Amino acid sequence: MTAIKECEALTHLTLTQASDAVRNGEVTSVALTKAALDAFKIGNATINASIALDPEEALETAEGLDKLRKVGRLLGPLHGVPLAHKDMYYRAGKPCTCGSKIRLPFRPTYTATAIKRLEEAGSITIGSLNMAEFAQNPTGHNAHFGDCHNPWHVDHCTGGSSSGSGAAVAARFIYGALGSDTGGSIRLPASMCGVTGIKGTQTRVSRFGAMPLSFSADNVGPLARTARDCARLMRIIAGHDLSDPTSSTEPVSNYEAALDGDVRGLRIGIATNFFFDGVDSEVLTAFDVAMNVLEARGGKIVRLEVPHIDAVNTYASVLSRVEGATIHAQWMRERPEDYSVHLAGRLYAGYAIPAVYYVEALSRRGPILRALGKDVFGKVDVFATPTIRMKVPTLAATDIDAGAPGAIEAFGAISANTRAINYMGLPSVSVPCGFDSKGLPIGFQIQGRPFAEAKVLKVADAYQRDTNWHERSPILDS
Amino acid sequence: MSKDIERQVEEQAEVWSGIALSNAASHDFARGLAETVRGFERARGQLVFEDEPSSFEAALQETKERER
Repeated sequence: MTAIKECEALTHLTLTQASDAVRNGEVTSVALTKAALDAFKIGNATINASIALDPEEALETAEGLDKLRKVGRLLGPLHGVPLAHKDMYYRAGKPCTCGSKIRLPFRPTYTATAIKRLEEAGSITIGSLNMAEFAQNPTGHNAHFGDCHNPWHVDHCTGGSSSGSGAAVAARFIYGALGSDTGGSIRLPASMCGVTGIKGTQTRVSRFGAMPLSFSADNVGPLARTARDCARLMRIIAGHDLSDPTSSTEPVSNYEAALDGDVRGLRIGIATNFFFDGVDSEVLTAFDVAMNVLEARGGKIVRLEVPHIDAVNTYASVLSRVEGATIHAQWMRERPEDYSVHLAGRLYAGYAIPAVYYVEALSRRGPILRALGKDVFGKVDVFATPTIRMKVPTLAATDIDAGAPGAIEAFGAISANTRAINYMGLPSVSVPCGFDSKGLPIGFQIQGRPFAEAKVLKVADAYQRDTNWHERSPILDS
Repeated sequence: MSKDIERQVEEQAEVWSGIALSNAASHDFARGLAETVRGFERARGQLVFEDEPSSFEAALQETKERER
């Protein structure tokens, strides 16, 4: 076997397969780590998924983990598995750019809880991944580190803001990656790159050591190839954290154990309002076929209306814009030229939104969630929508900085279906469900009640048992 | 409306936050706030304020998944 073939054989394992192989002694952590680093070396110039890798430290850690395994000691369910994460998770002493010029000199003095938990479970952090500047665009453009390119078609968007996380997992560089999701930033790249990604219930995962964007809507979560991979990662990072008092004390169940493929009798809602407005016909067909798959497994399709959705969209846009503008006010005063054109423009509008609008948006979250609990989850167990209504757009067509006509409207349209879910605070997983006529991925998202992570992952896993969209991998032009 | 809102955004950002910015995108995003205003107008009367504070966190608990 050639070096490339050996590398591919290992990088094409799923995260759970790779970790099980290390545990069983079928492969070493050093071999997995070398394969991941080689995959970046071979393909990253094509898609620009990473910001910085640390091969020496990664291999040193892998060697240490292999030694531990040899003496029968495993740190946890990710023992010896290399991961890389969106470059907004603090690691003590390491650069953390947040995808920006402004944060280039930043060296955090502490480590994010999510990273700490993943490493305590035995994972190796091999580096940091590309992202939208300060996690604030849905496309994958980055004026400072270069745009991230979709591995299925490099002229197209990866989705954002967790662009490198989606692209690196799809390209088989890495087994899994943390992203973050404030308006869709995990699910959009998951959908556009053809991988699986979950945001939990608001407050489910600690945000300590994660770059803030919007206090009310930020979520930490994983992207990986399968729902099972995501279940393993999510169980490790979820749960209360004393360093983040806003994190929930709700117990974390064994999400992986819930993946039994049984969706018989499960009521699956399909919204009759809003989520399909102007949907592309190829996206709609893929979604309908996906629902047929779940129905054939015994799921019951129920059509229903999602209440207050117009208000949800208005309120959602205000929350993230005002909170983002607040966080960035000092830099916007002192060095606005160090932001990309589109981000400075987006933040700018936030300074003119009245406080009464912001408070209204915050205060109506509870009543809207209660209405959803009654009108939606009183009738169904989960509800599904396309993750994105349109086909994956090109980078050129959505380049606001280059003055592309309609690009600002496209930004809003891309995240229309995801942003609403963040406002409601629901757990949501995006699952690949096909390809469009140009060969770019299509995804759908499944939502459940608050803290129903196990259920949405169970539905996603059941779907993946009967489909192979998540197993397909792109061929990179290197 | 669009001219007005651009000017208002400029004034508000300068007066309240000391932020001045002039690029094409900032004008476009400022104009986009007109739709936000319309969204708030449409929402009027649909929902009322609650008497109790922290309603979202409470709602997460009230509506959460429970084992069957």
